[in-house]
Amino acid sequence: MPNQDILVIGGGPAGLEAARCIGDIGYKAILVEKRDRLGGTPDEAGYAALTPDLRNAEEAMSAMVQAVENHPNVDVRLGTTVVAAGGSAGNFTITLKNGTHEENLNVGAVIIATGFQHFDPGRETQKYGYYEYEDVITLVDCEKMLRAHRFVRPSDGKKPERVCFIQCVGSRDRRIGNEYCSKVCCGIASKEAIEIRQLVPDCKVFIFYIDMRMYAYWEPDLYWKAQEEHKVNYVKGIATEIVKKGDRLLVKGEDTTLRRPFEIPMDIVILSVGMEPSQGTREMARIFGLKQNKYQFIEAVGAPMDTVTTSVPGVFACGACTGPADLEDAISAAGLAAMRAIKTIRHHSNKKAS
Amino acid sequence: MGQQVIPVEELIKSQKKPGFKYTPEEAPTEDYRDILFQLEKEGELEVLRVPEPYVEVTTKYGRKKKIPLEHTWHHKSCGQCGHIPGYSTSIFWLNRQFGFDYVDPSDQTSCTAWNYYASATSNAEAQAAVAVRNFAAAAETGRFPLIHCGTSFGHYKEVRHELLHHHQVRRKVREIMERLGKRLVFPEEIVHYSEWVYAIRDRIAERQVIDMSAIVASVHPACHYHKLVEEDAIYDPEIYGAQRTAIVTGTLKALGIQIGEYSSWYDCCGFGFRHILVSRDFSRSFAVQRKIEVMKEEADPDIVVTHDTGCVTTLDQSQFAGKAHGKKVGIPVMSDSQIAALAMGAHPYKVLQLHWHNTENRPFLEKLGIDPEEKWREFEDALEKLKRGEKHYLTWEDADA
Amino acid sequence: MNVDINSMPLDLTGGKYRDIPYEEKERLFNEVKADVRFHDVLYGCYECGVCVAACPSARFYDFSPRVIAQAVAREDVELVYILMNDSIWDCSQCFSCDRCPRGNSPGGLITLMREVAVRNGLESAKEALEGYGRIIYKIMSTGTQVSPDMLQPNAFPDWGHHVNEIADNLDLWRRALPPETLHTVETGWSVSEKTIIELYLIWHMTGVMDMIKEIDEGLFMILQDVMEERLEDAGYDVTFDE
Repeated sequence: MPNQDILVIGGGPAGLEAARCIGDIGYKAILVEKRDRLGGTPDEAGYAALTPDLRNAEEAMSAMVQAVENHPNVDVRLGTTVVAAGGSAGNFTITLKNGTHEENLNVGAVIIATGFQHFDPGRETQKYGYYEYEDVITLVDCEKMLRAHRFVRPSDGKKPERVCFIQCVGSRDRRIGNEYCSKVCCGIASKEAIEIRQLVPDCKVFIFYIDMRMYAYWEPDLYWKAQEEHKVNYVKGIATEIVKKGDRLLVKGEDTTLRRPFEIPMDIVILSVGMEPSQGTREMARIFGLKQNKYQFIEAVGAPMDTVTTSVPGVFACGACTGPADLEDAISAAGLAAMRAIKTIRHHSNKKAS
Repeated sequence: MGQQVIPVEELIKSQKKPGFKYTPEEAPTEDYRDILFQLEKEGELEVLRVPEPYVEVTTKYGRKKKIPLEHTWHHKSCGQCGHIPGYSTSIFWLNRQFGFDYVDPSDQTSCTAWNYYASATSNAEAQAAVAVRNFAAAAETGRFPLIHCGTSFGHYKEVRHELLHHHQVRRKVREIMERLGKRLVFPEEIVHYSEWVYAIRDRIAERQVIDMSAIVASVHPACHYHKLVEEDAIYDPEIYGAQRTAIVTGTLKALGIQIGEYSSWYDCCGFGFRHILVSRDFSRSFAVQRKIEVMKEEADPDIVVTHDTGCVTTLDQSQFAGKAHGKKVGIPVMSDSQIAALAMGAHPYKVLQLHWHNTENRPFLEKLGIDPEEKWREFEDALEKLKRGEKHYLTWEDADA
Repeated sequence: MNVDINSMPLDLTGGKYRDIPYEEKERLFNEVKADVRFHDVLYGCYECGVCVAACPSARFYDFSPRVIAQAVAREDVELVYILMNDSIWDCSQCFSCDRCPRGNSPGGLITLMREVAVRNGLESAKEALEGYGRIIYKIMSTGTQVSPDMLQPNAFPDWGHHVNEIADNLDLWRRALPPETLHTVETGWSVSEKTIIELYLIWHMTGVMDMIKEIDEGLFMILQDVMEERLEDAGYDVTFDE
């Protein structure tokens, strides 16, 4: 009897959506998540509101989680990792590990949705001093403060008067080795800028950028909205250096539109850190022997016409494990991956039957 | 609810505490040593290995770098030897104090990069040939080159890239070396003297006789040390969380000196190569306004410590005109080698040769409990012997007498 | 088509180089591009401003490493020619701009442009290096860049009276240096005769003297005399004027 089950690895937005789709169509999904709870990075990093529509992240994610947890066709395995894989499309043998307990499992297809991790600003080649200065934070740190409705200077808990974002930290950078655009940071920075302006109306907010990448509806919904309604200042030219001056940070850069170097004092600097493949993504690529691109993301070998097929038949990938992705990308690709995985199973079942 | 709530900002701060550490696997640049040793295998060149004993330090991208302690061949600096000779004298003095084997060669030319950056009257092949000639000369003595000058250090790393990646440059250099009867040899590491000082900082501290804990020093890291081919520079998670080079600062901290922070630490000194010689208005303004005045306002240090020829010269000499214009200047400037030697009891004039420096440094010596008048008299006594013809030169024995 | 419209708004020279044939400007541009190092120093530019913010010369002069990188990347031959004449000598070669996220080295690019300017005897190169000849003479002929005897009040008037004191005591103070190689006055340290001969042979085999001839014929002739004579004494029959 060919195996009809599908293994989904990763309980973030893409994995949740893939598992739900599989279940809805009537197949069985086994959803493996290494953390003790579902929800992925939006949950783990404590996102306040989702990009682009500022929807409450906690509510949105718990709706997705519930849809899976209550699904009769989805078998959720928390605190579990995949440690070995063998076999081929239609009949994979997977070894799961939960604590010290190992278990072998047979599945017909696999969907990897192990996502990304945020760039560690310690590796930045500009002098941003993330590990030197308490008031230099990341988009993720900012999100945590917004969620707590407490946006203050980490160094002394005071309300900030001037705040700036620096774009493309860890992205579009040949010296760091990440030449790609991380796609979402322009939108997230604009979203957070709006939220800061709402939470601390007296605070001036600047965004230093190289190019604002606001495709489709993100342009009116985030960029124009931030600039026109919330008076966020967009300056073309990123910063090269952050230093301490008195109890504030001094940000040095060039305003390339006005063609002059600037040195502006700030209370908080937010680094718009980009995406890199997560440890889980690197690990799954190794275990399944998947082709990776030069940035170690899992390669979608049929892209752009097929965004989920990997170099190994029967193994599919969706979400940010294949490259920087926003929620829309991740959710759309998850549905496609579910469809392809089911097709694989049916193909092998039919072969066996005939 | 009685539950203790930790404010979100405390959580954010706490996750940054350990400082940052690079792992070599994440390094964005090639490890040039892979190519260097491959070319050696192919018979293209010969690699001069770091001799034992050496100390391993960590560079920007988490790789290890070997710093030789002795058997060094001292690649001297034009500006140090010409205009601030106590700089190199202190390096030699430290070697002698530790009983390290070293060579101070006459078979050495300038790297000629100062002129090259100033005037461009040279080219890639000539620059590479000058470098390899010096390295071959070092190899002939069985010693390893220790580079005194920040610009030579930076430029030789550029040359390394050109030699390793452009066979045309290699071919030309090979042709020249054949004509000179020399080997095409390149060192395993390009090592700057301040890395050597950093590597032995704890040994220096063990033999420290002058308490320096009352001293505040502002550090100027040399551009050609940490900006020009950045991956060879030393970084340490304990110094600025490895977000700035650890060199000089690490040495000063080991000597108990307090670091005076200032906001233009990353700025160049204003040396400018051609500028310091024939367009000094630029060098002077930059050194005074962007460096010295900022240090004075923000840290008010007792001393500026740096580790390159051009930086000591520009920061020190430019203060004279600044003073005439009522600028906030007046901070003595020395190299880390001079400070290290002073800490170990070196004579401020016979070894540090502070009379070649411009900005007033006697208050600094006094703060350390050294009587500059008395020391100067001792130096003058030595000069008298030379004047009287009792001896022609001051020797190392005289320096420590 | 002789004029690139892109360069017009930035031509603040008032059309100073309008009469130079486009073909000549293009020839120099191609010479820059032909250097083996060209691809190491320039990829492309997205105008992030990092290089300018870090640049000391940009604070002092009307100088922008970003404009230079952008102009060369756009292959704007007219603008590049203007920059090669009016801007590149302002760079202080500190390489603070090497943090370019695109991997460019504007400072390195400027080095190549300067070499082309020197090799082709551009007026700007001659002007920039006016007064610098004695330094070129020193490094080329002695193998050390600055010597103790250069510390003369007339050369460094803004360094104050301490230069007089050094000049007055020069010989004595040099003899009061413990390292044996530092007793020199005319060179930074003592460089052996054999070493100097080897250096001259390097200059000869790499065409460096031809570059000097382009910018300063008089300096070239003095150097030629000195070098050819010492080489002859050492048994080398070498001429720099070929």
